[in-house]
Amino acid sequence: MLVSDIDEHKKKKRPTLARQRHGLVLMAFTVLMAAFASAVLPAPALAAPPIADAGSDQIVEQYERVTFDGSGSTDDVGIVNYTWSFIYGDNVWQLYGEVNDSFYFIEMGNYTVTLNVTDGDGESSTDEMIVTVIKEKVNFIEDYWWSLPIIGATITAVVILWIVLYSGLDVVSVPTREKSRLLMHRFRYVSKQVVTHKMGAVGTAILGFFFALAVFGPLLAPYSVDPASDDVTELYLKPSPEHWMGTDSRGVDIYSQLLHGARTSIIVGIFAAIIASLMGAAIGLYSGYIGGWQDEVIMRVNDVILSIPWLVLMILLAAMVGEITLTLLIVIIGVTGWSGTARLVRAQVMSLRERMYVERARAIGSGDMHIINKHIMPNAFPLIFANTILTVAISILSEATLSFLRMRPVGTTTWGTMLSYAEQSSALQSGLYWWIIAPGLCIVFLVLGFTLLGHALDEVVNPRLRRR
Amino acid sequence: MSKSSMRKMLLRRGVNIIITIFGIMTLNFILVHAMPGDPILNMVPRDPKLDPAYKEALVDKFNLDASLPERYVTYLWNTITLDWGTSYMQDHREVVDIVFTDMRWTVLLIGTSTIITLILGMLIGAYGAYTRGGAFDMSSTALMLFFYGMPIFWFGLVLQMLFSTYPAGMDWWPQLPTGGYYDTVEHGSTFHWDFWLILSVLEHLILPSMTLAVGSLAGVAIVMRSSLLDVMSEDYILTARAKGLTDFQVLRLHAMPNGMPPMIALIALSLAFVIGGAYQIEYVFNYPGIGFRTLNAIWELDFPLLQFIVVIGGVAVVIANFLADIILIFIDPRIKIA
Repeated sequence: MLVSDIDEHKKKKRPTLARQRHGLVLMAFTVLMAAFASAVLPAPALAAPPIADAGSDQIVEQYERVTFDGSGSTDDVGIVNYTWSFIYGDNVWQLYGEVNDSFYFIEMGNYTVTLNVTDGDGESSTDEMIVTVIKEKVNFIEDYWWSLPIIGATITAVVILWIVLYSGLDVVSVPTREKSRLLMHRFRYVSKQVVTHKMGAVGTAILGFFFALAVFGPLLAPYSVDPASDDVTELYLKPSPEHWMGTDSRGVDIYSQLLHGARTSIIVGIFAAIIASLMGAAIGLYSGYIGGWQDEVIMRVNDVILSIPWLVLMILLAAMVGEITLTLLIVIIGVTGWSGTARLVRAQVMSLRERMYVERARAIGSGDMHIINKHIMPNAFPLIFANTILTVAISILSEATLSFLRMRPVGTTTWGTMLSYAEQSSALQSGLYWWIIAPGLCIVFLVLGFTLLGHALDEVVNPRLRRR
Repeated sequence: MSKSSMRKMLLRRGVNIIITIFGIMTLNFILVHAMPGDPILNMVPRDPKLDPAYKEALVDKFNLDASLPERYVTYLWNTITLDWGTSYMQDHREVVDIVFTDMRWTVLLIGTSTIITLILGMLIGAYGAYTRGGAFDMSSTALMLFFYGMPIFWFGLVLQMLFSTYPAGMDWWPQLPTGGYYDTVEHGSTFHWDFWLILSVLEHLILPSMTLAVGSLAGVAIVMRSSLLDVMSEDYILTARAKGLTDFQVLRLHAMPNGMPPMIALIALSLAFVIGGAYQIEYVFNYPGIGFRTLNAIWELDFPLLQFIVVIGGVAVVIANFLADIILIFIDPRIKIA
């Protein structure tokens, strides 16, 4: 054996032995250190379970969207998941994910709201709170604001008419009186023409029926349409003497809903049409009278609005708003509906502007406002008015369509929302045919009434059409 | 019309069209991006164990953290370079691919119903004008006014109701499919050219196209009738009668050609309306076309898809109106160039 080989041998053997002994020492050392560490040093942070905090109990009103804040929850590792669950009777809704989540309370009574938080180690904790939902308080100004201008205008009109026609006081000059007499005469003439016109008479009769329904319908309704009221009975009841058209998917009487729907449909139609017509008339008047580059700009904007399909525009606006109330619905329909009227008024104003009497008025030094007030508006107004009546019909249809596509106004009953619920809960399969047929027929006849009246008015005030 | 004035008019209209399309794109961008909600929340699954890098990658890919003006400029540039991007949902398929797949069904629906509408509407309108004041005229006008006030989706529901039951126990009453585009149970979910499949497509097309046709029938019939009545009171009709033409010849040779211009304007103008109607019908009948896709895109906040659909619809309407104007100029020499 060579020396070097022996050395190799030694080198091979001894370190192995040494390592083994060393390993034993190391092991002992480690155990000792661990014992020492556990005895002397503070224990390493074991993950503590998170503490959930859902907030304190609340009382909210019906149809209110409440945002819950789970940010009070604490954990040392960090919370990765929040789960909110809302329990009402047998119904459970769960929302995953966010610290803040909002929930929309529809039913009256107690909801149990539970927040479950999970931390990074998979440990979780739960906190519970009670939300009591009370009946929505009716605020007269907020809910019936639309009636204030009508009441005001009616009182003013009655007072003015009384002063003008029946008082012998000198507050009214003779020419004014003569003018108002002529106005009355013209009004009588137009209404006589409309009523003797076949279409106009039918339209007026239909509208009379629906206006009566709008005023008295809710009083005639045998049951409440509030899904939270005591009148709610079994779901999907077939027509019976108690429930003439059965009950819907929420247990609400369908016939009562039908009677309630007339008012909202007419309100939506009329107010949306007024917004659309006012905007359209103002824009058309400006564009047609001023002309020039302003006209170009307005007409291009008008082209854009007319080119995007009408329904798409309304759906996008409605989606933008999120939660739709009746007022918002009226504004959406009104704001998207002005372009047709604007075009019509513009064309009319452009032709009126070139008339001889406008030229003459300008020659004797009349200002623009005077010409618009005295010469253009009186001639354009009948057309605008007839067009407004036709716009009402379109607005009613728009409301029904938007509601049907599940963009329905919250907390109100319209014929559109009835159809929407019917489609959503498959009325066809449950055999509740009236649920679909009745609201649809009501919409058709209401729209028909406005269309007939509008066409009749158009023919009376628009002499170009009369020869037909 | 002289050639140069024609050229001038075309140029003017062309510039107007470009401005209008630009306006449509801008309004579209504003409306789409003003919708509440963050699309990224819909794109990533709500799973606490999800790798945050996945979300980051998506935000990066769709440029979601850019400011609105920045995104607007990108959007305009991509539009000009015809790069419409990919959908946020639908496995990030190309937007163009999705839209053109769905468009086939919508075009089929709109095309069929428009043909039915035009033929029926013109016949009813013309015959009504021809027998003016008679029983047919009165009843058809009343019916058309009824159709005019009818929500299209409601008529769809009523037809569904009629053809999915046996009214009054009549067991011979035909039953028609009330949803879908063909029988996917029998023929599989991918479309292919097969005789029975085409037959199934046609069968499923009956109710939706009837609904859409009836919904827009009223406009065509009423305009046809009134424009023919307008023409019939002209002097040259009297002349034609005086020289001994039969009623049919008068209608065919003198009244119809002169009653056409309002019809052509109406067809172009009502395209926007028909697209809106198709939306409702696709929703009622579960017909997988553009309208169905749009509603889904709104609910899912799928911005690229939504933008493309709205722009395509707007551009189609603009071009239809432009074509109608051109045709009107050619067939009606009385129209002066504005």
